[in-house]
Amino acid sequence: MSDQAYFSVSDLHAYYGESYIVQGISFEIKEGEILALLGRNGAGKTTALSAIARMQDPQVHKGTITLDGQDLTGMKPFEAARAGVQLVPEDRRIIPGITVEENLIISQISEPIGWDLDRIYDHFPKLRERRSQEGVTLSGGEQQMLAVARALARGIKLLLLDEPYEGLAPTIVKEIEGIVREIKEMGITTIIVEQNAVAALKLSDKAIIMESGEIVYAGTAQEVLDNKELREQYLAI
Amino acid sequence: MINSIFLQFLTGIQLGAIYVLISLGLALIFGTLGVVNFAHGAMFMVAAYLGVVISQAEWGGWGMAIVLVPIILFVLGLAMERGLIRFFYTRPHTDQILVTFGLAIVLQEALKWGFGANNLPFATPDWGSGIMRLHDYLPFLEGFVAYPKWRLILTAVSLITVAGLFALLQFTTFGLVVRAGMRDSEMLRLLGINISQRFAIVFALGVSIAGIAGVWGGPVTQVDPGIGMVFLVPSFLVVVIGGMGSLPGAVLASFIIGLAISFSATIPALANIIVYLIAILILLFRPRGLMGQKGVME
Repeated sequence: MSDQAYFSVSDLHAYYGESYIVQGISFEIKEGEILALLGRNGAGKTTALSAIARMQDPQVHKGTITLDGQDLTGMKPFEAARAGVQLVPEDRRIIPGITVEENLIISQISEPIGWDLDRIYDHFPKLRERRSQEGVTLSGGEQQMLAVARALARGIKLLLLDEPYEGLAPTIVKEIEGIVREIKEMGITTIIVEQNAVAALKLSDKAIIMESGEIVYAGTAQEVLDNKELREQYLAI
Repeated sequence: MINSIFLQFLTGIQLGAIYVLISLGLALIFGTLGVVNFAHGAMFMVAAYLGVVISQAEWGGWGMAIVLVPIILFVLGLAMERGLIRFFYTRPHTDQILVTFGLAIVLQEALKWGFGANNLPFATPDWGSGIMRLHDYLPFLEGFVAYPKWRLILTAVSLITVAGLFALLQFTTFGLVVRAGMRDSEMLRLLGINISQRFAIVFALGVSIAGIAGVWGGPVTQVDPGIGMVFLVPSFLVVVIGGMGSLPGAVLASFIIGLAISFSATIPALANIIVYLIAILILLFRPRGLMGQKGVME
């Protein structure tokens, strides 16, 4: 791991139509680090992730996004994905009408490719069991597993996890937490957005707190865990 | 009695076969690109004209028309998508309807200017002319029952095209991407797939199928500048009845409409409104159409 920033966002401004959501945020991550992006509902976390993944919406009006020396700012979403950015969206976005296996195959159509099917199935035996079932008929936890597996099926440099625990039962959250921990051990650079701040912070190296589209705090994850006042003020926990 | 019922059935299927060829492309384009393509009937018309010209040209012939027309239409579709349609993906459906309808009228007037307003004769090739003596093959028919050979060939071509398209979508990687793209194109982009490129091919494919419809169907319909519009409305209704964007729905609805028109033909007052009557009834009970999926056009 080098000391240089592997991924950086500099003065990023993002809009949904006329709505000014992300209002000039800047941060850096080193290779292999996990960053928790925290804040209340509507703080602009998901918008920031979507902008980093270069989705058509929101529109980035200003700022630069750099990953491993590549400028992502002018890229289309499929180009950003080919550059190694992989978003696991909040609602998982398992594609309806196709099977679990087809959901995995489809993520390996364009380069770079990550884990092969055997490795994925060895890691997620439940997905092997249900490989020929339609993806959207899986339970919430299994769909989250599939969404993460689908990301691992691609060659990733930066993983964006948007609310990976949302809507899942506590026992399933434990299971997904285990998977995220493994991702951390694999050394994949990750940004995690999560309402369940404590769970996210335990896994993270760094933390950023957003409020009304701006960064109001940046530090280590441990600092946020230790600072009760900060948590109460911005995270209501 | 059995003879007339059977013949009406056959006519209905044959009519459905043309509707299938036109509405499949319409449904495919709507389902993947979300574009309401009112120029689709005009594509059918252009193909029919090309069929007449190529099949009767000194350098041409029927064999060449069958091969060339769908290819020319494919290229035309690509040009249309890249040059015009792609700028309308994010625009409202009404804008898409206006621009494609405008294009249809331009093409219609261009052909009227070039070929006149009258019906062009479009003769079937020798190998497809004449009649089939159906009673030789189907023992349940009584006495002498014949049916134009070309209409049977047209029906077969239509069914083969449907089977071919479904095989392409179901059993190839390209098909998997298109099927997935019909449901969530944004997610595919996030997985590194340049879906716009594939969708341009899909658009061209849809237009190319209208090309197959024009060249094979031309001899049984008419070839005049109004023919595109004549088929556009029922084909569009087929897509709505089948469920916007559903290909199996379009196939099913095509044959329902074809059969309904054929069986109501003896009562002229009914024949004119039967398509709309069916559309109203089906949409009353199934607002998304026969096989429409949640979330499409809502």
